[in-house]
Amino acid sequence: MTSSTALWYASRATGVVALILLTVVFAAGIGISRQVRIPGLPRFAVTDLHRNLSLLAVAFVAVHVISAVLDTFVSIPVLSAVIPFASGYERFWLGLGAVCFDLMLAMIVTSLVRGRLNRHAWLAVHLTAYLSWPVAFLHSIYSSGDLRHGVLLELSLGCAAIVGAAVTWRLVSVARRLPRAQRVAAQLAAAQLAAAQTTRTLPPRTAR
Amino acid sequence: MTGVKSAVGGAARQAAAGLPRLLPPVPGDAEDLNAHLTRHGRLRYHGTALLHAVKAAGLTGRGGAAFPTHVKLTAAKAAGRPVVVANGAESEPASEKDAALLYHAPHLVLDGLVLAAEAVGAGRAYLYLHAGHAGRIQQALTERRRVRLDAVAITVAEAPARFLAGQETALVSRISGGPALPTFDSRRVTERGILVQNVETLAHLALISRYGPDWFRERGTRDEPGTMLLTLHAGGRPRVTEQPIGVPLSAALGVPDAAAVLVGGYHGTWLPAAAVPALTLDNAALRRHGASLGAGVLAALPHGSCGLVETARVTRYLAAESAGQCGPCLNGLPRIAAALAELAGPRPRRSTLHDVERWAGLVTGRGACHHPDGTARFVRSALTVFGAELKRHASGECTATDREPVLPLPPGYAAPTTDEEWR
Repeated sequence: MTSSTALWYASRATGVVALILLTVVFAAGIGISRQVRIPGLPRFAVTDLHRNLSLLAVAFVAVHVISAVLDTFVSIPVLSAVIPFASGYERFWLGLGAVCFDLMLAMIVTSLVRGRLNRHAWLAVHLTAYLSWPVAFLHSIYSSGDLRHGVLLELSLGCAAIVGAAVTWRLVSVARRLPRAQRVAAQLAAAQLAAAQTTRTLPPRTAR
Repeated sequence: MTGVKSAVGGAARQAAAGLPRLLPPVPGDAEDLNAHLTRHGRLRYHGTALLHAVKAAGLTGRGGAAFPTHVKLTAAKAAGRPVVVANGAESEPASEKDAALLYHAPHLVLDGLVLAAEAVGAGRAYLYLHAGHAGRIQQALTERRRVRLDAVAITVAEAPARFLAGQETALVSRISGGPALPTFDSRRVTERGILVQNVETLAHLALISRYGPDWFRERGTRDEPGTMLLTLHAGGRPRVTEQPIGVPLSAALGVPDAAAVLVGGYHGTWLPAAAVPALTLDNAALRRHGASLGAGVLAALPHGSCGLVETARVTRYLAAESAGQCGPCLNGLPRIAAALAELAGPRPRRSTLHDVERWAGLVTGRGACHHPDGTARFVRSALTVFGAELKRHASGECTATDREPVLPLPPGYAAPTTDEEWR
């Protein structure tokens, strides 16, 4: 590696790390939406994990973009980082990267001002995560050949498998969810069942 | 109409000197418009003058929270074009005072509703009731329409037969066309331009408009003036009576001896029998024992009944009445209920008492409404007051000689299974 290739490698490496981070963020986000509990962590920690990892991912994406722009091996204009399909080099696949970056920014900005937003507006923007991850994945695979063979291919397939499993699990868990009106009855029945082995009734004492 | 009103002014004043103030002097009477006007005469204070009179009278809400009425009226007026709702959907199985008031003196409530609407500049007024009580009120409304008594139109809205249906935010949701489920909003209902007052509060308001704040303060204490309606459970059928606030608690209760007393209903507090003789019927005295009058339910637990069994029965009902919206309530109350059932039986596990105490702490303050808080308060007071009984159950004994239930519950109640049951 020479100084002339350092930026190129930095861009590749941060891109790979960002993909891993976004995968974990995606899975944690689904966990939060279904109120999952990670063993050993309180529920709010899952939320914190999701938030902090997503901010970390932004940092990696920022380095990924800046180093790609600064690198002179191929010419990528600065604006193509946020304006999709503005790069002459790999116009479509780099464009997908810009799409993903824009969606990430939208999700983060709306989350920062969430307290001032209508809940449905926030949710609508946040649901684009389901779009942005596949877009980021395609960008990763097709922008260059690195992720198409060897260990990096296995890694990216692993990420895809995690996301696929998380989405499947979410769909199954939504389908299994009890309607709100039936939850209390179900909880009562469950609590009573759990206590049934130990609960007996005392017979009344005869009056003296 | 005015002829009737002016002719009886003196007689009405005289009648108003005694008790009861709200209920008809002859128990069991259901006052029609004529009887009502003959007894109470004409309205005197209106609008801003009424707001001042209510403030001077020191009237507080009779729905349970005892919040100063004039503060709410003023806030609703400031909200601009508010809606006024008379809340008569008393859903507590042990309380019958609102139903009794609506049946025996419906015109007093309707007077108060119209007066409040006029005073805050409301264009619309609602009366929120359980389905069973609407007939008598429709009859009273027809009487009033016939003589064009009211400038504000009153709409009757019906509540589903669920414990939380009368909760303020659930009421607003129901009247807005949704289910009667508690909702969360960072702004108070009154600030949103919806004035919700208990029907008894409005009936007192109608009397203050007639007889003034000084008359109102002739009964009650300095801080908590006036009278209040009580539902008494002291053997036999429950009775609704009217008592001046501040009378001795044992006199209000009317039974010489009880094993324990429940004050404030199923979100209320058990008091040990030993504490009762020194107590008076006011929040200032009850607060020292962590209790409050709530909506005026008093129940005496007779000797020979087990307080733990009673508490377990009621807690199971309260758990079934959770709206199922907030996790701590949905998950916590059924577990607390099951654990109490165990404590009410012979030889409960040692850990169970500890579990109940822990869960009661975990659910408190964590719901959109105060259902978990009220239930936890009720349960905790039972664990304190019936401490000796807990020990007896631990050794497989119980003081009860009588398994007849004391505290009333709706027959065959069950947790809802469809959203329609909340409408």
